Amino acid sequence: MSDSLIGNADRKWLFQGLGLTIVVIILAILFSLINPKFATITNLLNVLTQASYYIILAVGMTFVIAAAGIDLSVGSLLALITVVSFELIKNGLDPILGVLLMFLMGGTLGAFTGYLISYINIPPFIATLGIMVSLRGLALVHSAGKMHYGLPESLTWIGQGDIIGIPVPVLISLIFTLFGAWLFNKTKFGLHARSVGGNREAARLAGVNVNLVEILVYSFMGLSVALGGLIMITRIDSTQATIGTSMEIHVIAAVIIGGTSLFGGKGTVYGTLMGAILLSMMTNALVIAGVDYFWQLFIMGIIVLIAVTINNIRDKRFLFNSKP
Amino acid sequence: MQSFIKVENLTKSYGGLKAIEEITLEIRKGEILSLVGDNGAGKSTFVKTLAGAQLPDSGHIEIDGEAVRLESPKKAEFYGIGCLHQGLGLIDTLNVPENVFLGRELQKKVLGIFPQLDYQKMRTETRDLLNQFSIKLPKLNDAVVNLSGGQRQTIAISRLLLQKVKLVIMDEPMAALGVEEGSKVLNLIEKMRSESVSVLIISHNLEHVFKLSDRIAVMKNGKLIKVLEAQNTSREEIVKLITFGLS
Ligand SMILES: Nc1ncnc2c1ncn2[C@@H]1O[C@H](COP(=O)(O)OP(=O)(O)OP(=O)(O)O)[C@@H](O)[C@H]1O
Ligand SMILES: [Mg+2]
Repeated sequence: MSDSLIGNADRKWLFQGLGLTIVVIILAILFSLINPKFATITNLLNVLTQASYYIILAVGMTFVIAAAGIDLSVGSLLALITVVSFELIKNGLDPILGVLLMFLMGGTLGAFTGYLISYINIPPFIATLGIMVSLRGLALVHSAGKMHYGLPESLTWIGQGDIIGIPVPVLISLIFTLFGAWLFNKTKFGLHARSVGGNREAARLAGVNVNLVEILVYSFMGLSVALGGLIMITRIDSTQATIGTSMEIHVIAAVIIGGTSLFGGKGTVYGTLMGAILLSMMTNALVIAGVDYFWQLFIMGIIVLIAVTINNIRDKRFLFNSKP
Repeated sequence: MQSFIKVENLTKSYGGLKAIEEITLEIRKGEILSLVGDNGAGKSTFVKTLAGAQLPDSGHIEIDGEAVRLESPKKAEFYGIGCLHQGLGLIDTLNVPENVFLGRELQKKVLGIFPQLDYQKMRTETRDLLNQFSIKLPKLNDAVVNLSGGQRQTIAISRLLLQKVKLVIMDEPMAALGVEEGSKVLNLIEKMRSESVSVLIISHNLEHVFKLSDRIAVMKNGKLIKVLEAQNTSREEIVKLITFGLS
């Protein structure tokens, strides 16, 4: 079982993952009892499709948070790279090149963020706050007041197509989650990311190239944004400069609810998947119940606080009983 | 005896504070050299420059007669220098094999192309390594955060056995170790000498220092004030040097 995808550092993660899965199932049953509309296959696939881009970004964010970082700029990055590529494709750029450009921009800008954090030593919160504001600014400079729409069908298939009844976004997000779990638990990159988050100086002294690891972690986050963004814009076949506003909260929330420690050093990609599904389910149920969007935000915030509290109790990181 | 490493006029400041000043010293092949001195004397700072953990502000380092620049721990490892750093041995959130192999992981290929960590092999080798010491670890797969100080120290020391070392540096290796574990480490150090590995040990325990050392170097306020043959000195003399310096 130690070779499971749930985490090598500690088997407790296995039970945590199962616990969260059970919570998700119980909630799903509860919502169905309250409102039969929730339980339809169409709606459940809809929940998963809506969750898909959050899942993808949250997988990237799991690496960032496990490396004791945070990335507030994901929503703005998504906006910038989607408006730029969208317009170029509309103006005749080959769709494949347009998509590649999105990944190139995502990976490079992410690497730049990582550079600021590792080499220039700016705290992640501040660095990504700055990037968040400036990228949103750039997106608005490029596309303020403009709504881009009308992608070629070859692309909209990614967001709207299905394979034997399963929406393509759902398939992509699940495959990406498996890949992420492998990367996180089974590869040198994942181990090094966790080691940097656990104790940066000890990792450096052990011979880990900590600066490079941080750059790669944020670059991987940027690539996840590109993939999530691709699904998002091809699903709604449009984008604009304000897309993805406050998306970072949703993504970070999914990771925390999933059980990844905000203090860095460990995490669980499977938990993140469950966290993202749980959040989308909640949102969906609240929408069906006709709850106002602002109340949804309020409830999401409360859920995050509860999740952090549960994590802290698990890690015994509590007032007088503190443990690193 | 031939020298393995020679340092000349090594100086390193933190802000206005000269943590080490003009240190000149050679470490011979197959000798055990102890470095003693009060808290804050500059011992850890000195060994950090030898282990590639930080560059000195000025000074020269020569290994086997060749001038070297030890700008990273990997570079020091390349020259055969392994180091147990004070208080920075392990990462709490990682498990035992991950800690032991961090920075020199064992990998295998999946599907013929993708490199993946070989956890099974790392676990087996970790168990073999730890069997040389007398610690019993119930679960290798748990994060090391809850292990005892001595267990953690032993795991950190066992990391050194994975490298092909010519010089082993240990900053307070006996701290936190029980009697049995401590004597295993002492044995290990003597075994290394017999394989003509050089050993540089920092210790506040003069009993260990005298039991092991060929030579003893004394530091005070960032300066290396004296190097003595262990046979030709006494505890009283060392204590006096540590406390009052040369005067
Ligand atoms: N990273 C650092 N930044 C600033 N000052 C430092 C740093 N590291 C060490 N110092 C200072 O340099 C001096 C030497 O410290 P060092 O750790 O080398 O002493 P030491 O001889 O190893 O002491 P101990 O026996 O307590 O381990 C001390 O005054 C210490 O405060
Ligand atoms: Mg010290």
